[in-house]
Amino acid sequence: MNLGSRMVGANTLAQAAFRLREAGIFIALAVAVLFFWARADNFMTVSNWQNIATDVAIVAVLAVGQTMVVLTRNIDLSVGSIVGLTAYISSDTLAKHQGLPLGAVVLIAVAIGLGLGLVNGLLVTVGRIPAIIATIGTLAIYRGLLFEITNGKNVLAFQLPERFLDLAAKKPLGLPTLAWIALVVGVIGAAFLRWSPWGRDFYAVGSNPDAARFAGIPVGRRVMSAFMISGGLAGLAGFMFAARFASVDAVAGTNLEFDAVTAVVIGGVNVFGGSGTVLGAVLGAVLVATIQDGFTLLKLSEFWKIFFNGTAIVVAVTIDALVTQRLQEALRRRRRAEIVAAREQAGATAREREVPT
Amino acid sequence: MKRVAAALLLRWESVLVLLIIAVGLWCRSLSPLFLTKLNLLDLATPYIFVGLMALGLTFVVIAAEIDISVASILAVSVVVIGQIYETGTSIWFAATVGLLVATALGLFNGFLVAALALPSLAVTLGTLAAYRGLAFLIHSGEGVATFPTGFTNIGIGYVWGQQVPVALLVFVGTAIGLGFLLHATRFGRYIYAVGSSREAARYSGIPVTSVRMAVFGISGFMAGVAGFVYIGFFGSSRADAADGSLLDVVTAVVLGGVDIFGGSGSIVGVVLAVFLIAELRNGMQLDNIGGDTQNIVIGCLLLGAILAGNGIRALQASGLRQRLARARKKEVVRTKGQAEGIS
Repeated sequence: MNLGSRMVGANTLAQAAFRLREAGIFIALAVAVLFFWARADNFMTVSNWQNIATDVAIVAVLAVGQTMVVLTRNIDLSVGSIVGLTAYISSDTLAKHQGLPLGAVVLIAVAIGLGLGLVNGLLVTVGRIPAIIATIGTLAIYRGLLFEITNGKNVLAFQLPERFLDLAAKKPLGLPTLAWIALVVGVIGAAFLRWSPWGRDFYAVGSNPDAARFAGIPVGRRVMSAFMISGGLAGLAGFMFAARFASVDAVAGTNLEFDAVTAVVIGGVNVFGGSGTVLGAVLGAVLVATIQDGFTLLKLSEFWKIFFNGTAIVVAVTIDALVTQRLQEALRRRRRAEIVAAREQAGATAREREVPT
Repeated sequence: MKRVAAALLLRWESVLVLLIIAVGLWCRSLSPLFLTKLNLLDLATPYIFVGLMALGLTFVVIAAEIDISVASILAVSVVVIGQIYETGTSIWFAATVGLLVATALGLFNGFLVAALALPSLAVTLGTLAAYRGLAFLIHSGEGVATFPTGFTNIGIGYVWGQQVPVALLVFVGTAIGLGFLLHATRFGRYIYAVGSSREAARYSGIPVTSVRMAVFGISGFMAGVAGFVYIGFFGSSRADAADGSLLDVVTAVVLGGVDIFGGSGSIVGVVLAVFLIAELRNGMQLDNIGGDTQNIVIGCLLLGAILAGNGIRALQASGLRQRLARARKKEVVRTKGQAEGIS
C-alpha cells in the first residue's frame, strides 16, 4: 500500500512536470504568433500558414528521427548533409527519368538515408566513437560526397516533372501534401515509441545503458537502429526538400541539423537520453518553423535565426536540467520522509508487541 | 604500466612523424617547390589559427568534455576587435577586450557545464549557433580591413631575414607555454585526474568544478588568441570568420592522440597533428582537389584516428589482462610450491 501510494505520487509529480513542459511550448507558440501577428501584416493569412506548414513538414520529419537518436543518449549532426545528398539525388534522378513513379524515388532517397545512417550507427556502436564526433565527421564527409556528385551543377525547377512539385504546391483539405506526409511520419513515430517493445527499448537504453544491457536489451543494435531511422527519415526529408525548393545544389540542407536539434530540445526530449516524446518534438518543430517564418516576414536577417536556434537550445537545456534536478530532489525528499514515517510506524508496532510480553 | 603507456605515446607520435614524412614525399612528387626551406616554414601559416584553437580544445577533451563552439567564439572576438578598433582606440586595447570577451564566452560555456551540470555536447552545440549569431548581430557587413601592420604581423609577418613566419613562432611559443601548464603543473595533473574519473578526482579533494570551468576558459582564451592570428592572416574582421574550421580543429586534437573519452593526451601530439593536417591540405591543393572534397579526407582521418586509438587501447587492455593472468598463475604456482615445501 505504502509502496503503491509512493509510486502514484512520483508518477503524478512527473506527469505534472511533463504537462507543464508541453504547456510551456504552447505558451511560447502563442506568444510568438501574437507577436508576429501584431508586427507582420501578412503573418495571419491562410497562404502564410500553408507556407509554414511545408517548412514544419521538413523539420518535423527530421525531428522525429532525431528524437529516436537523442532518446538513446546520442546525437546525429549529419542529417543536414544527408538531406542535401538525397535531395540532389532525388531531383537529379527525376530530371533524368521523367516517367519514374514518385514512390520509387522516395524509396531510393530513404534507402540512401538508411545506408548513411547505418554508417553513423556502426561508427558509434562498433567503432565506439562518441556520436557527436562521429557525426561531425560524417557531416563533412557526406557534404564532400555531395560536392563530388554535383560537380558544380545544380538541378533547376523546370527540369522536374509537375507532379513532383505538386507535393508542395497542391493542398488537399487545405494542408500541403508535404505536411500530410509529415503528419503520417509523426503518428507512426509516436505509435512506435509509445507501444512497440523496440521503441520502448530506446527509452531504456537512454535512461541507463548498463541497466538496459543487464536487462537483456541488445543496446548496440538498438542504437544502430535509431541512427538508421534518423538517416532514413533524413532521406525522406531530402525528397521533400527537393519538392519544396525545386532547385537543388551542393549546399542544400546546410545547417538543417540545427533546426532538428532545436526542435527536439525545445520539445522536451532530454539531452541526457531516456525521456521525451514525438509530440513534443513535432510541437518544437512547429515553434521553430513559425518563428523562422516570422523572422523572414519581418525581414530580419538569417543571423537572427541562427542566434535564435542557439539561444533556444541553451535555454531549453538549462531549464530542463534545472527542473529535472528540482524534481529529483523533491522525489528524494518525499521518499526520505516516507521511509522515516515507515520506520517510526514499524518502531511503534514493535513496541506495542513488546509491551504484552 | 607506465612503461607501456610511454611506449604507446612514443608509438602514436612516431606514427604521426612517419605520416608527415609520407605526405611530404607525396607533396614533393606533386611539386618540386615543396621541399624548399621557405615553403616548409610557411606551410602551416594559414592553419595556425586552427592549431591555436586545437591547443585550447585539447585541455577540454583531456578533461573528458567537448567544446564545439570555439570557431564561433573566434568570430565574436574578431568582430569585437574590429568594431572597437573602428571607434579610434588603440588596436592593442581592442585586442585586449577581444581576448577578454573570448575568455568570458568560454567561461560561460564552463559555467553551464560545470556549475549547472549540463552536458557539454548540448551546451556548446547551442553556443556554437548562438555565438555565431551574436557575431553577426554585432556586425554583419564587410569587416574592418584597415588594421595596422604592427598588429597584422602576428598573422602574416616574418622575422629573421624575412624567413620565419611570426604566426609559426606564436604557435610554437603558445604550445610550449600550454605544454608546461598541462604537463608540469599541479593544475595540469588535476585536468588529467578529472578526465580519468570525475568521481575519484572529487574524492581526492580536487576542486573539480573549478577545473572543469577553467578548461573551458582556456579554450575560449585560445580562440581569442587564434582570432589575433586570423585577423593578421586574412587582414579583415568578418562575422563568418573561421566558419567551417571546426572539422580541422577537432581532427587535430583527436589525431594528436588525445583520448576522446578524456584522461590522456599530449600537446606534442596535437602540434604534430596540426602540421600533418596543414601539409595534407597543402598537398591536396597542389593536386587541385577542392576544399569540400578535402573535407572527405580530413573527416576520414578524424574517424580513422579514433578507430585506431580505440583499437590500440583494446589491444593494450587485453595485453594487460593476459599479463595479469600470467602473473597470477605464477603467484599461484609459487605459493603452492611454498606450501608443499612447508609440508
